[in-house]
Amino acid sequence: MERAVPHAIPLGQMEVFQALQRLHMTIFSQSVSPCGKFLAAGNNYGQIAIFSLSAALSSEAKEESKKPVVTFQAHDGPVYSMVSTDRHLLSAGDGEVKAWLWAEILKKGCKELWRRQPPYRTSLEVPEINALLLVPKENSLILAGGDCQLHTMDLETGAFTRALRGHTDYIHCLALRERSPEVLSGGEDGAVRLWDLRTAKEVQTIEVYKHEECSRPHNGRWIGCLATDSDWMVCGGGPALTLWHLRSSTPTTIFPMRAPQKHVTFYQDLVLTAAGNSCRVDVFTNLGYRAFSLSF
Amino acid sequence: MSSESSKKRKPKVIRSDGAPAEGKRNRSDTEQEGKYYSEEAEVDLRDPGRDYELYKYTCQELQRLMAEIQDLKSRGGKDVAVEIEDRRIQSCVHFMTLKKLNRLAHIRLKKGRDQTHEAKQKVDAYHLQLQNLLYEVMHLQKEITKCLEFKSKHEEIDLVSLEEFYKEAPPDISKAEVTMGDPHQQTLARLDWELEQRKRLAEKYRECLSNKEKILKEIEVKKEYLSSLQPRLNSIMQASLPVQEYLFMPFDQAHKQYETARHLPPPLYVLFVQATAYGQACDKTLSVAIEGSVDEAKALFKPPEDSQDDESDSDAEEEQTTKRRRPTLGVQLDDKRKEMLKRHPLSVMLDLKCKDDSVLHLTFYYLMNLNIMTVKAKVTTATELITPISAGDLLSPDSVLSCLYPGDHGKKTPNPANQYQFDKVGILTLRDYVLDLGHPYLWVQKLGGLHFPKEQPQHTVIADHSLSASHMETTMKLLKTRVQSRLALHKQFASLEHGIVPVTSDCQYLFPAKVVSRLVKWVTIAHEDYMELHFTKDIVEAGLAEDTNLYYMALVERGTAKLQAAVVLNPGYSSIPPVFQLCLNWKGEKTNSNDDNIRAMESEVNVCYKELCGPRPSHQLLTNQLQRLCVLLDVYLETDSHDDSVEGPKEFPQEKMCLRLFRGPSRMKPFKYNHPQGFFSHR
Repeated sequence: MERAVPHAIPLGQMEVFQALQRLHMTIFSQSVSPCGKFLAAGNNYGQIAIFSLSAALSSEAKEESKKPVVTFQAHDGPVYSMVSTDRHLLSAGDGEVKAWLWAEILKKGCKELWRRQPPYRTSLEVPEINALLLVPKENSLILAGGDCQLHTMDLETGAFTRALRGHTDYIHCLALRERSPEVLSGGEDGAVRLWDLRTAKEVQTIEVYKHEECSRPHNGRWIGCLATDSDWMVCGGGPALTLWHLRSSTPTTIFPMRAPQKHVTFYQDLVLTAAGNSCRVDVFTNLGYRAFSLSF
Repeated sequence: MSSESSKKRKPKVIRSDGAPAEGKRNRSDTEQEGKYYSEEAEVDLRDPGRDYELYKYTCQELQRLMAEIQDLKSRGGKDVAVEIEDRRIQSCVHFMTLKKLNRLAHIRLKKGRDQTHEAKQKVDAYHLQLQNLLYEVMHLQKEITKCLEFKSKHEEIDLVSLEEFYKEAPPDISKAEVTMGDPHQQTLARLDWELEQRKRLAEKYRECLSNKEKILKEIEVKKEYLSSLQPRLNSIMQASLPVQEYLFMPFDQAHKQYETARHLPPPLYVLFVQATAYGQACDKTLSVAIEGSVDEAKALFKPPEDSQDDESDSDAEEEQTTKRRRPTLGVQLDDKRKEMLKRHPLSVMLDLKCKDDSVLHLTFYYLMNLNIMTVKAKVTTATELITPISAGDLLSPDSVLSCLYPGDHGKKTPNPANQYQFDKVGILTLRDYVLDLGHPYLWVQKLGGLHFPKEQPQHTVIADHSLSASHMETTMKLLKTRVQSRLALHKQFASLEHGIVPVTSDCQYLFPAKVVSRLVKWVTIAHEDYMELHFTKDIVEAGLAEDTNLYYMALVERGTAKLQAAVVLNPGYSSIPPVFQLCLNWKGEKTNSNDDNIRAMESEVNVCYKELCGPRPSHQLLTNQLQRLCVLLDVYLETDSHDDSVEGPKEFPQEKMCLRLFRGPSRMKPFKYNHPQGFFSHR
C-alpha cells in the first residue's frame, strides 16, 4: 500500500519551482489599509501581496478567499518594512522607499506613485531600509537601515530634511515617543538611541548589552525590536526582553524569554511579543508576569 | 240549309281552340266552296263597336219582346197567340242574332288570340336568335381571349438578349433593317439565330465525344503498357540485388521491412511508419527495425473456416484435458491471465544514437487483448561503464524512462477499459507484470497513435497517425536528453563517491578559488528513509517527495562542523532541479526550522538554481549545487559572530571577503558570491 501523497497532480518544472519558492519565502512586513478591509504583505522576493481581510474573515470564506487578491513585484530586493498613511501604502526594502495609492493598488499593473532614495554615503552596496516610521504631526517619514543613519523625509515635498548619525552599526527598528517628539532607534550595535526631532540631536543612549541583568552574550548584542509608551520602553533581541524606565534609563523588568525577540508592542497595559524562531506570541503584564501565550 | 250549316258550324264554333277545329273548318271550307261564306272574313269586315251596339239593341228588343209577351200572356186573348207567336218569331230571330254575335265574338277572340300567339312566336323566335347570337358572341370572345393568351413554344426558349443578338448574328439572319421595325420578324430572326447556334453546338458536342473516345482508347493502351512494365522492373530489381549489396544501399532490405510491416498490428504500424518518417526527415541517428516472427503474426489472422475448425478442435482437446487432469482453479486463472497479457509476436525496435556514441535501445510491444503498447529500454555505451554504487538506479531499464513527461510513471495501464478485464482474471494491477512486459507509458501510447480520453471512455480506440506524428519529435528529443543526463550523472556519481565534486572549467566562475569544506560522503537512500528524516518534513508536505524520485544523502564537513544534505532527484533532471534539505551539526543542531541562515542556504541552492545550470544542456546542475553548498558552509562558519563570553579564538577565521556580515531584520549572512570581484554580499 502506498502512503497517501498530498496531491496527485504531476509536477512540471513550473510547479516545482513555485513550490520551492513558497517554501523559502519569508514575509518581512505587513500593513493594513486605511479602510481596514485589506492587508498588504511584503516578502523576501520583493513582492507585495494584497489580501482581502473582509473576504477571508467572513463566514462564507473559501480557500480562494485566503489567496491574495493581487500580487505584484514591488522591489528588486526584499520588502523589509511597510506603513500606511490614510491614502498611501509606503514600502521600503532595497534602499528605496516607494509609495502606492491604496485606491489603485488592486488594479493590475499598478505603478508606484513615487520612489525616493535617501542620500547614501557609500556607493559600493546599496543599504537596505529596515524600518519606516510615520510622524503624523510633522507629516514626515523616518527611514532607517543599513547605512546606520536615520533619514527624515517630508511627505509633502519628498525632500530629505535630516540625517541623524550616531549608530555604529545598522539600524533594526524605530519607535516614536509622541509626547515629546522623540524617536527611538535600536540597532545592531546594541544601543538604543533617543533623538529629538526638533533639534535633530541625540538625546539619550542606552547600551543594553552593558547591563548585566539583560545581556546574553551568546546571542549577540543586537536590538531587534522596540516599543515605547512615552515613559516606558521595551526592547529585545540579542539581549533579553527588558522593560526600561526612560527617564532614569534603568531596566525595571526582565521578561523570561529564551529566544531572541523580533517583534514587540504595547497594548493598553500589556506587552505583546513574538519571537522569530518560535511559534508563540507571548502576552505579559507590565510587571513581568506572563499572562498567557497565543500559539500558532 | 242554314240550320244545317249552323248546326255544322256550331260544333265548330264551340270547339274554338285551334287546330283540329281549323282543320275541320278548312275541310269544310273546301267542301263548301261554292256556297260557303266565311264568317271569319265577315269578322274582319264588321266593326266590333257596331256589333256591340247591335248586341245591346238586340238584348233590349228581346227584353221588350219578352215584356210584351209577358203582357200579352198575362192579358190573354185570342189574337194574343198570334202576336205571341209573332213576337216569338221575332225573339227567335233576335236569338239568332245573339248567337251570331256570340259566334262573332268567339271568332274575334280566337283571332285575337291567334294573332297574339303568332306575335309571341315571332318574338320567341327573335329571342332565340338573340340568345344564339349572344352565345356565339361569348364563345367567340372566349376563343379570342384564348387566342390572345396563347403562348407559343418559341417564347419558352431563352433567347439571347437583343443587343447580343444584333452583335453576334450574321446580317443575313438578323436582317436589321427588316427586323428593327417589325417585332414579328425580329422574333423570327432571333429564333433563326437560336437554331443556328444550337446546330453549331451540337456539332461541337459530337466532335468532343469522338475526341473523348479517342483519348480513352489511348489511355487504355498506355495502361496496358505500364502493367506490362511491372514484371520487367521486378526482374531488374532481382538482378540488381548483388549490386545493392556491393554498394551498401539496402533498398531491398527496406522493402522487406515494409513487407513485414504489413503484418504489424495498427498501433505498432503507426509507430513504425511515423518513426521511419521522422528518422529519414529529421534525425539520422534514429534507426527502426521490426523483430519477431511474421509467421506467428500471420497465424493470428487465419480465415474464419479454419479458425472455426481450430476452435472446435481445441474445444475437443480442452474437454479431454479437463476430463483427464482437472487443473486447479489457480492454474486456470493463470492461463487466463497469460492469455489476457499476451503480446503480439512482432515488435518494433528503435535505436537512438547519442552524441557520445551511447545508444538507447527501445523495444515496443503490443498487448493485443488490452490494446496498449509497452516499451522495454536498454542503454549501451561505447565503453564499458563501471557503475558506482549510488548510480544503480540511474540507468536501470526499469527506471531510466520513468516520468519522461511529468507524472508518467508507467506502472498503471492507461486504458481504463482494462480494469474490467483485469477484474475477470484477478489481476490487481499491471505493475506486477511490468518487468516482464515492459512499461505502458503514456507517451508510448501516443507514439502508437492510441488516445484514451479520461472524460469520455470510448469503446474502440483506433490508432491515429496524426497523434503519433505530433508527439514524435518532442518525445525523441526528451529521450535523448534523458539518456544523456543520466549518463552525465553516472559519471558524476562516480566522482562524488570519491569525495570530489567535479566542477567543469566553464562553471568555475560561479565559485571562489578556495573552497575549504569537503564532500565526504555520497550515498543513495530509500524513499521511506527520506520521509523519516526530521528535517525533510517541509518537502514531503509540499508534495515534492514522490516515490518516482531518487533520493541521496550527501555529507559535507569542515573541522568539527558536519552538514547533512538530503537530496531529492526528480527523474526530470535537469529541467527540474534537485531539492536539498540541510541539517548542520555544529554548536548544536541547526535546521531550517531553528536557524534562518540554514533556510537561506537552502534557498541559495533550491530557488536560485538557474544560475547554477551552467552551459546547456545543464548537466552540471547537481555538481554545481553541491559545490555551492560547500561554499555556503564556508561562509556560514567563518561569519559566525564571535561570542565574547567564550574563551579562545574562533574555530574558523574569516577568510572570505564580505562587505557586511549581517543585513536586514533577519540578520542574514552574505551568501551571494560576486564574480569576478570575488566578494560576498547579500541578495
